[in-house]
Amino acid sequence: MGIKGKAAIVGIGEVPTGKFPDREAIVCAIESARQAILDAGINKDEIDTVIPTAALYSPQFNTELVGCRIVEEIGLAGKVKNNVQIFSGGSSSCNFLRIASGLINLGVSRCILCVHADKLGTGVSAQGGIDLFSTAGISKEWEVPYGMHYSAIAGLITQRYMYETGTTAEQVASVCVSNRKWAELNPNAMFRKPLTVEEVMASKMLSTPLHAKESNMLADGGSAFIITSAERAREITDRPVYILGEGSRVTHFALSQEPDLTRFAYAAAAEEAYREAGLTPRDIDIAEIYDSYPVFQLIALEELGFCKRGEAGAFVYEGNTWPGGKLPMTTNGGMLSQGHTGAGGGVAILVEAARQLMGKAGERQVEGARFAIETATGGTYMDTHVTILGTEIP
Amino acid sequence: MSAPEKPAPPVNYWTKPYWNAANEGKLIIQRCLDCQKHIFYPRICCPFCFSDRIEWVPASGKGRVYTYTVVRSNAPSAFIGDMPFVIAIVRLEEGVQMLTNIVGCDPDEVRCEMPVEVTFERLNENFVLPKFKPAGSE
Ligand SMILES: [Zn+2]
Repeated sequence: MGIKGKAAIVGIGEVPTGKFPDREAIVCAIESARQAILDAGINKDEIDTVIPTAALYSPQFNTELVGCRIVEEIGLAGKVKNNVQIFSGGSSSCNFLRIASGLINLGVSRCILCVHADKLGTGVSAQGGIDLFSTAGISKEWEVPYGMHYSAIAGLITQRYMYETGTTAEQVASVCVSNRKWAELNPNAMFRKPLTVEEVMASKMLSTPLHAKESNMLADGGSAFIITSAERAREITDRPVYILGEGSRVTHFALSQEPDLTRFAYAAAAEEAYREAGLTPRDIDIAEIYDSYPVFQLIALEELGFCKRGEAGAFVYEGNTWPGGKLPMTTNGGMLSQGHTGAGGGVAILVEAARQLMGKAGERQVEGARFAIETATGGTYMDTHVTILGTEIP
Repeated sequence: MSAPEKPAPPVNYWTKPYWNAANEGKLIIQRCLDCQKHIFYPRICCPFCFSDRIEWVPASGKGRVYTYTVVRSNAPSAFIGDMPFVIAIVRLEEGVQMLTNIVGCDPDEVRCEMPVEVTFERLNENFVLPKFKPAGSE
C-alpha cells in the first residue's frame, strides 16, 4: 500500500508574494483558491474537503481559517464535508499532500482544496518578526534563554556544514544567486533584480556565517492547489500531476537535540520516496528544494543523490542549477527570492513543482519536465519530507 | 525604550533539580537507572527505554563545541545589547547535547570541536544559566 499514482494535483493558484500592506490575508486565501479551482476547470461544488494551513501573523485570522471562513467565502457552505487545518510549519506542504492523498485513497474525500495565506511581511514589524521567530517552535526551557532565533539556527547549521564538507562561503552564497536567476523569471517573486555572489558576501553579517542576503525575507502571500483521485484527474485534465512517492522523518523538536545538523533525514526520506516511485536521481528533471536558507539546498542536493558529499557547493556555484542548467532547482526562486510567507513558503515550492509539470511555468518553464522531486522541512528543521511528482506513472 | 527582560525558563517538577543545582554552580544531568544512558534535556521518562526510573548525576561539565554562531545583528529584542554573542551546541563527554552560550573569550576565537567547560552566569535573582568557556581558561 502506498500513494503511488493514486492521487493527482489538477489545479494551482497563487497571488504575488511581497509586501502588500493594503491586501488583506483573506484576499490572498480566496484569490489563490479561486485561481486553483478555475485552473482545474472544475465546478467548485465538487470540492468536499477544504484544508487550510495555519497563518502566523494573526491569531484572529488563523481562527477564521479554522472556523471555515474559506468555505463560506467561496460559497461551499452546506456542501463541504469538512474543513480542517493541517500545520507543520514549513513542511505543511508535504503534510498537505500526504494527508490529502491518504484521504482520497481511502475514499473519505473526493476532491480537496489546500490553501495557504499569511501576512508576515506587513502584518508584523521587522523586529516583531525577529521576536516571533525567537520563540515560535523553539524550546522555551532549553534554548530561548540563550538568545536562540532563526538566523542563529541557520548560522549553527551552516557553520557545521561548512566545517564538515569544506564548502566555501562563496559557494553557499551562490545558492542565493541560483534562486535569484529563477526569480528574475517569476512575476510572483518579491526579489527579481539580478544578484551576484559578491553582493551576497558584502551584505550584513547576521549570525555567522549567515549573511543578510542568505536569509529569507518575511512576506505576504498565498497559494493553493486542488487534489483528487487519479481516475478523476484524468477526466479533468490530460496532464495530471501524480504523487509518485514520498518519504519523511521527524528528527527533533529542539535543534540542539539533532544528532546530525549536516544531513538531517534527507537520505532516509529520499530513499523511501525513490523506492515508492520506482525512480532514481537520474530520472529527475527538476529539484524543487525547500530553501529558507541556502544550506538546506546544499544538504538536499547531496542527500537526495544529485551530488557527492561536499560537492553541492561547487555544483551550484558552477551554474548547474540555473535556468538552462543540468538540474533546475527551486525554480520559483524559493523563500530566498520569492519570499517567505510562513507555512506558505513550502506550499509555493510544491505549487511550483506542479506548475512546471503542468507546463504552465511561462518564461521559466523547464521543457519536457516529467518528474520533479520536492522537499520540505518545518519548525527548526524538525522534519524532513521528500515527495516525487510526475506527469506519468512509471 | 528599555530592552525587555531576558526570558527565563519555565520550571516543572522534573526540571527543578537542574535549576536548583545550577543556582549552586553545579551542572547535573539525568541518567536512566535501567539502561544507564545519560539524558539531556531532563525528561519525565527515559527516551531510550521508556523507564521512569531516572536519577540525577553530576556532569563532567567538559565537552566540545559541535557548532556555534556569533550573533552580530538581528538579535531578539532582549539580546540586542549582548551582541556580538556566541550561541553554540556543546556535546558533553557524557554524550548529550546542549544549547548554550560560549563566554569568556573573544567570539571570533570559537571553533567547531573546541574543548570547553561549564561556567555559570546569573540570569536574574531566580536563575543561573549554565554556559561554557574555553577549557582551562579563567
Ligand atoms: Zn533508559
